Amino acid sequence: MPAREKNRFYEDVSLVLSRTSKASAVVGVLLLLLVFYCWKVQILDHRKYWALAEANRTRESVVPAPRGLITDRQDIILAENTASFKASIIRENCRDYDRSLAEVGGLLEIAPEDLKARIAKYESLPLFRPIVVKDNLDLKDVSRIESRRLELPELIVEADPRRYYVFSEVAAHVIGYMQELSPQELKSEDYSSRNLGDMVGRTGVESQYESTLVGVDGRRTEIVDSQGRTRGEISRSEPTPGQDIQLTLDFDLQRKATELLEGREGAIVVLDPRSGEVLALASFPTYDPNKFITRFSPQEWMELINREDHPLENRAIRGLYAPGSIFKLTMALGALDAGVITEHTSFFCAGAANFYGRPFNCWQRGGHGALSLTEAIRHSCNVYFYNVGRRMGIDRIAESAKRLGLGDKTRIDLPGEKDGLVPTPEWSRSTRKTDWYLGETISVSIGQGPLVVTPLQVAVHTAIIANRGRAVVPHLLMSSFPAQESLSGRTAGASPAEKIRPDFFETVIRGMWKSANEEGTGRGAKVDGFDVCGKTGSTQLISRERAEKLGKQIKTHSWFSGFAPRDNPEIVVTVLVEYGGMGGATAAPLAKELFSLYREKR
Amino acid sequence: MIDRRLIENIDWFLIGLLVLNSLLGVIIIYSASHYVPGHHHWRQLIFMGASLLALFILLLVDYQVLMSFSFYLYGAVVSVLLMMLVFGRFISKGSWIKLRYFQIQPSELAKIAIILVLARLFAEYKRNHVSVAAVATSSGLVALPFLLVALQPDLGTAVSFLPLLFGSLILAGLKRKAVIGILVLAILAGIAGWNFYLKDYQKQRLATVVFPGRDPQGAGYHILQSKIAIGSGGFLGKGFARGTQSQLKFLPARHTDFVFSVIGEEFGFLGVVGVLLLYYLFLWRLFRSAGRSRDRAGIYITFMVSLMISFQLLVNVAMVIGIFPIVGIPLPLLSYGGSSLLANFLGVGLVLNVKMRRFANI
Repeated sequence: MPAREKNRFYEDVSLVLSRTSKASAVVGVLLLLLVFYCWKVQILDHRKYWALAEANRTRESVVPAPRGLITDRQDIILAENTASFKASIIRENCRDYDRSLAEVGGLLEIAPEDLKARIAKYESLPLFRPIVVKDNLDLKDVSRIESRRLELPELIVEADPRRYYVFSEVAAHVIGYMQELSPQELKSEDYSSRNLGDMVGRTGVESQYESTLVGVDGRRTEIVDSQGRTRGEISRSEPTPGQDIQLTLDFDLQRKATELLEGREGAIVVLDPRSGEVLALASFPTYDPNKFITRFSPQEWMELINREDHPLENRAIRGLYAPGSIFKLTMALGALDAGVITEHTSFFCAGAANFYGRPFNCWQRGGHGALSLTEAIRHSCNVYFYNVGRRMGIDRIAESAKRLGLGDKTRIDLPGEKDGLVPTPEWSRSTRKTDWYLGETISVSIGQGPLVVTPLQVAVHTAIIANRGRAVVPHLLMSSFPAQESLSGRTAGASPAEKIRPDFFETVIRGMWKSANEEGTGRGAKVDGFDVCGKTGSTQLISRERAEKLGKQIKTHSWFSGFAPRDNPEIVVTVLVEYGGMGGATAAPLAKELFSLYREKR
Repeated sequence: MIDRRLIENIDWFLIGLLVLNSLLGVIIIYSASHYVPGHHHWRQLIFMGASLLALFILLLVDYQVLMSFSFYLYGAVVSVLLMMLVFGRFISKGSWIKLRYFQIQPSELAKIAIILVLARLFAEYKRNHVSVAAVATSSGLVALPFLLVALQPDLGTAVSFLPLLFGSLILAGLKRKAVIGILVLAILAGIAGWNFYLKDYQKQRLATVVFPGRDPQGAGYHILQSKIAIGSGGFLGKGFARGTQSQLKFLPARHTDFVFSVIGEEFGFLGVVGVLLLYYLFLWRLFRSAGRSRDRAGIYITFMVSLMISFQLLVNVAMVIGIFPIVGIPLPLLSYGGSSLLANFLGVGLVLNVKMRRFANI
């Protein structure tokens, strides 16, 4: 009965049942395989995925440190920082590289090829480092980028304190400008703590005092979600602002000097001879350093570099010019000290004289007649100093020039200063590979020939005379700046010019005073009641004979260098105008303006 | 209709495992979504209660009766799917029908209809090997809803119909030649699908299973983020509601398809093993229930339900740990979603129904 019932109610399903158990075993085995794979991912590869998860959730960012301000001696701000924004691409976050570039390019209005070139420049840097693709964004750009943040996780906007030179062209050469660190610099030891896209001082004070001005950037580690939104902060180090620096520049004199040079090519240096403080240092043509703060102006940059009048060159410390008649002061002091002439020695000027079988002219064709030393300085007589030069010889001339600050770096706190050249027979043999000609000594006697100096050297030279032998090192950093005193280190040792007898200086200074105040060549610099002492110079670029033969206009550089007042000098002014003509006509009146302004301000 | 003896024969242990696994799902859904609006964990709990109620209602009706109505049910489901395709724009969005307070996925419930109709078909099939006619009929019965769902397009749900067909054919005794033939057909269908049906993003997903690192921000993003979540969990995990990948939303579909990644991240390898062990206990109990059925149809029902849930589990886990393309198959019982939960509960309800009526003296 039960068997029959079983057959009737319970059919034989053993085959089917065995198939179900096989299938369940297969499911079990597959599940076990998945567990093994989980073990590989979670235990064996745990470190790798842990690191990836951490990288996902944290974002390192830089909190930029403001750069130190630069002010003049009256606390007028010359260089400051303004708020600005920059946009960067993080290549790591690009989903589709080409499409991403096209979109970012469209959003920021940058041509895709420019964008590509920009990124290619930093190819070798790690993918997570942001590459700045546009800076100085306006608020419109910023809000446009922010609104598309979810679509473009590779594009970020960051604060970017931007250098701003308040008076743009004025003092551009002193302050210098800033440019972006190159990929090579970023990899070097010196800039190991700096970030991609950081700016660095390239010339001038910005470069000289880079380590003082630059602060230490802060760093922030944030927790971010998958859309890049900040959800919290893990750690934060505050930025340390850069130190401000005060310059010795007097803004009013600096601006005046720049204005005076407007439309010419040349340089002006104003010094305080007592301390060596540079009150003004102008070079013209100049440029707007604000233009270089942006990372993307190669075209303007190339234009500036290629301009024939070289606006980027700081002529005051890098321009090499023959000193011309200014050198007669060196000649006079050297000759007095060597004893080859006295204050009363006189020579006769007939407008020209023969030396070593060759005629040498005075600038005054009619001649000056018989002159004493002070009169020779007053009228800047060439023939007088040809005779002095012949008596001294080139070696003693060179020694005197070196003692009075010519032909050597002045050690001013600016990068790129040039040496100049005071020629000697050894120099001629070793560098020029020819013998020294005695006729050249006669040329050098009036500041021509191979002799070249910088306007700043002439200013220091004038300061030594004004100080009656005491030398100074010109400097731009206020020495009252306690933290910076060691940096400047601008104390001159015992000057070799101090060995020259004070009355020799007085004799020369009398000549300089006469030049300015008694209808001498420097009369254009006369300021009533201020006792200006000075000397003009006119550097012939080609000899007068040749110029007349060729029927060309005489092109001369125009010099004036002087100080005031005669006793207890406070200010030295040196002016050089390229192709300015006679020194008395062009350079001296410019110097007068500066002497007057200084006197008014005093 | 229902007496004390039937109630005594209800497999309460299986129901316990079902509820336990579903509650675990609610907890993980909480962790994965409590910081976004929607109260997904509460909703899931309500779905669970409703599904449990539906399960008990299902127990009232003998599965034989259900089977006898299976063609009507099948017809109704197919009509709904057809209507969704035709009038899709007005009533539905993809695989969803929008109702007033919630959405419903008819494709999930189609599974139950398919199970019943296949069980009915094979109920009287006593030969050791399946005939060509039976293969053709059953394949046709599955192919129709498969195509309708695949066109929605919801490839994941459509694919999960296939184990029902294969399961019943295996039980019916598929010849080795036929198995090979089906595989060849599947490959041909795959090639045809690649060329004519799959969308570019789906092709990319397939490609990125092989090379997930190739395109970390594109199609490989989800796989990579999921692997990062699981791998960074390590042995013990980061702790409940403390997974950075899920809490900071790096993980996609955290409370739905990728809920397993949250388990891996927050409870570690230990949690993964624990959850899968509990799950396997449930599956084992389901498969074992096949031996507790009165008739052939009951075995088919039990087996198909077990296979349906197993298939979805295996594919989902394989998908989130990056060894299977992302096809949008949820983790049964654990993933958020009412329709899927209801379908799985009803499936288990069918198994219980078969099991409680194993004594054929009624």
